[in-house]
Amino acid sequence: MKKTNQSSHGNPFVNFFSSIKLAVFLLIALAATSVIGTVIPQGESFQFYLERYGPGMYKLIRTLHLYDTYHSWWYVTLLSLFALNLTVCIGRRLPFTLNLVRRDSLGLGPDKLRRMRINHQWKLGKPLAEVKGELLPLLKEVLGGAREREQEGGVLLLKESGKWSYWGIYLLHASIVIIMLGALVGSFWGKKGNIVLMEGDSTDHFISRGGVGKPGSRVPLGFEVKCERFVVQFYDNGAPKEFRSDLVIYEDGKKVKEKDIRVNDPLEYKGFTFYQSSYQGIPEVLLKFVISDGQEINVSIPAYEQRLLKGVGVAYGIMQFMPQIHGVPAAKIWFGQFRGTPPQAFWLVKGHDREIKIGDKIVKVSMVDAKQKYMTGLQVKKDPGVWIVWVGCLGLILGFIVVFWIPHRRTWIWIGEEEGKGVVILAGQANKGKLAFEETVKELNLRIDTALRERSWV
Amino acid sequence: MGITNSTLLGFSTFIYLGAAFLYLLHWVFRLKKVGVLATGVTVLGLLVQTAGILLRWVESYKMGYGHAPLSNLYESLVFFAWCTVLVYLVLEWRIKTRVVGAFATPFAAMSMAYASFSPRVRDSIEPLIPALQSNWLIAHVITCFIGYAAFAVACGLGIMYLVRGDSKGDGIISSLPERRVIDSLMHQTIIFGMIWLSTGIITGAVWANQAWGTYWSWDPKETWSLITWIVYGVTLHARFVQGWRGKKIAVLSIIGFLSVFFTYFGVNFLLSGLHSYGSQ
Ligand code: HEM
Repeated sequence: MKKTNQSSHGNPFVNFFSSIKLAVFLLIALAATSVIGTVIPQGESFQFYLERYGPGMYKLIRTLHLYDTYHSWWYVTLLSLFALNLTVCIGRRLPFTLNLVRRDSLGLGPDKLRRMRINHQWKLGKPLAEVKGELLPLLKEVLGGAREREQEGGVLLLKESGKWSYWGIYLLHASIVIIMLGALVGSFWGKKGNIVLMEGDSTDHFISRGGVGKPGSRVPLGFEVKCERFVVQFYDNGAPKEFRSDLVIYEDGKKVKEKDIRVNDPLEYKGFTFYQSSYQGIPEVLLKFVISDGQEINVSIPAYEQRLLKGVGVAYGIMQFMPQIHGVPAAKIWFGQFRGTPPQAFWLVKGHDREIKIGDKIVKVSMVDAKQKYMTGLQVKKDPGVWIVWVGCLGLILGFIVVFWIPHRRTWIWIGEEEGKGVVILAGQANKGKLAFEETVKELNLRIDTALRERSWV
Repeated sequence: MGITNSTLLGFSTFIYLGAAFLYLLHWVFRLKKVGVLATGVTVLGLLVQTAGILLRWVESYKMGYGHAPLSNLYESLVFFAWCTVLVYLVLEWRIKTRVVGAFATPFAAMSMAYASFSPRVRDSIEPLIPALQSNWLIAHVITCFIGYAAFAVACGLGIMYLVRGDSKGDGIISSLPERRVIDSLMHQTIIFGMIWLSTGIITGAVWANQAWGTYWSWDPKETWSLITWIVYGVTLHARFVQGWRGKKIAVLSIIGFLSVFFTYFGVNFLLSGLHSYGSQ
């Protein structure tokens, strides 16, 4: 496409926002300021910045929101100006492109064709009338799929392709605006948050992390998610191989969907997407208590939880857990204060029972077994803008392809008569891929030349 | 021990170094035959390297990890060199000139040399952690690196443009293509790179969306790839702002590649984020 000489418009606002100079300025400003957020860590506590950068820089960081650069008022302003610039600039080119597309490519005479960079002319040895009957169909066939019009006493043939490619520029630039719109929709109507689920548990809400709803608030899902099982696998070298949560969705008590999700393979239901994001192993210990009055109690207790030992009435729990001590699991167990007995804690190793005194009773404690239970960490997201973003991305790529690889090509042949003899002019124009086009025209030239010679017209 | 991927990739490093040297000789002494030899050596290097990459792929399956060799710093450097040589050879074939080789093949040779000899780069085949097990990631790496390779060639052209300056006469400088030609090649190469970089950023976004649920999280690597994208966007538009031709575009093309370089290395070594290639 040629550089446009956009005639100055009356409206100074439009003039300002349609300039490519402004675009270049804004782009440079965006690139330069984007660096800030990659150098200063983002989203830390104010305390962090104060300690790391000192009071002077800290003030600057707070005033300019450099702790969240890309959502700061000034960065968003730059982005908005950029979007405005793009929209106005592109809108303003529209009449120019419309003219370009509407211009009459069959309205040219032989003089114009002769002035084109690619042109060739044959002077025939005979008057046009003698050969026209055979010549015209012949040229039409060589050119293939041409339009024609009577022009300056002769006939002009035109073969044209890729005229629509002028719209590629619009597709490309509009796509950038569309992507930004999609991001905007996401930030206004999107929801995101976390869910932490123990194996076997379910939930009907998540904890918001931003978007709609204050961070930390509970957002209802409208259905229930259950984690049936969590599985983690490792390679021989200890690197993680797979994190997997087997999820089931229940709606009104009925199972409606199930899927085993992995890190790159989320589950989607009713606009919400559930991603595997983290996990935590929670040991669960099976304890046996034999109380001096003859009672025997078996319980399964997750680490770090508190229970009440029935039959005695004392609180107890597991403070610490080691999966392997000399090949067997061990847990540090605590018992609360009970009547005259002060609180006590001790390590219990599997296979080594302990006897303790609580009040007036003796309790024998043993570890029957220990197993790992898992808690899965899920991310939840609902982003109604994401499809807009993908459409924009697709448009961007297609736009690029059209802008760079689809040429507008025109090939003309004019036949007419000058000084009583027939004349054939071949001419062509392409707005890109000029070398390849020249080759095509050369081939055409050769075929016409051969045909004319065979008939001894030149 | 039979031939392993490291043997072949090690060979290709030396072949590329040789090719870069031959292209330089060809340019400085204007020896046509040396030029033809340089092309031959480069093609040989590409074949050996391709075999090396394929072998590495096969080896990863034998180790039970089975993944395309595009997953760590070493493999990405090798792939960058491969793409650069490929992009350059296509350019050479299309413009039928060999001088550009003296400015383009050194990028591939340096990348391979760095991958092979730097103690910071581990060349072992490693299993993929869950976040990296995605076809989108493969698409992401391939597209980004084709873009980077094109930008390396465009940077070479930019340097060539600046080296050429205004000089006339018949020194080695004037055996370089005309400035107008370099300018147009540079523009086309940047455009080509821009399409791939855009696709690279987009496939990266799709991958991130699938892995963590956000297509864009302003992590330093993402932000730097956006900065790079913007630099080249400016370069494309600078043509429409008066006066920005030739020399300024050449400078922008070099700045653009510095930005690519920082996106690729600087972010890993100096900044922190999700993309932790090489930060081991
Ligand atoms: C970073 C974002 C942008 C990208 C990736 C982009 C991409 C492009 C590309 C690839 C071209 C074709 C260049 C060529 O033919 O050599 C182009 C041309 C153009 N762009 Fe942009 N552009 C962007 C932003 C803008 C903005 C903000 C404006 C508005 C001021 C703008 C206005 C134009 C105009 C007027 C043309 C000329 C079309 C022509 O005559 O060929 N662009 N853009």
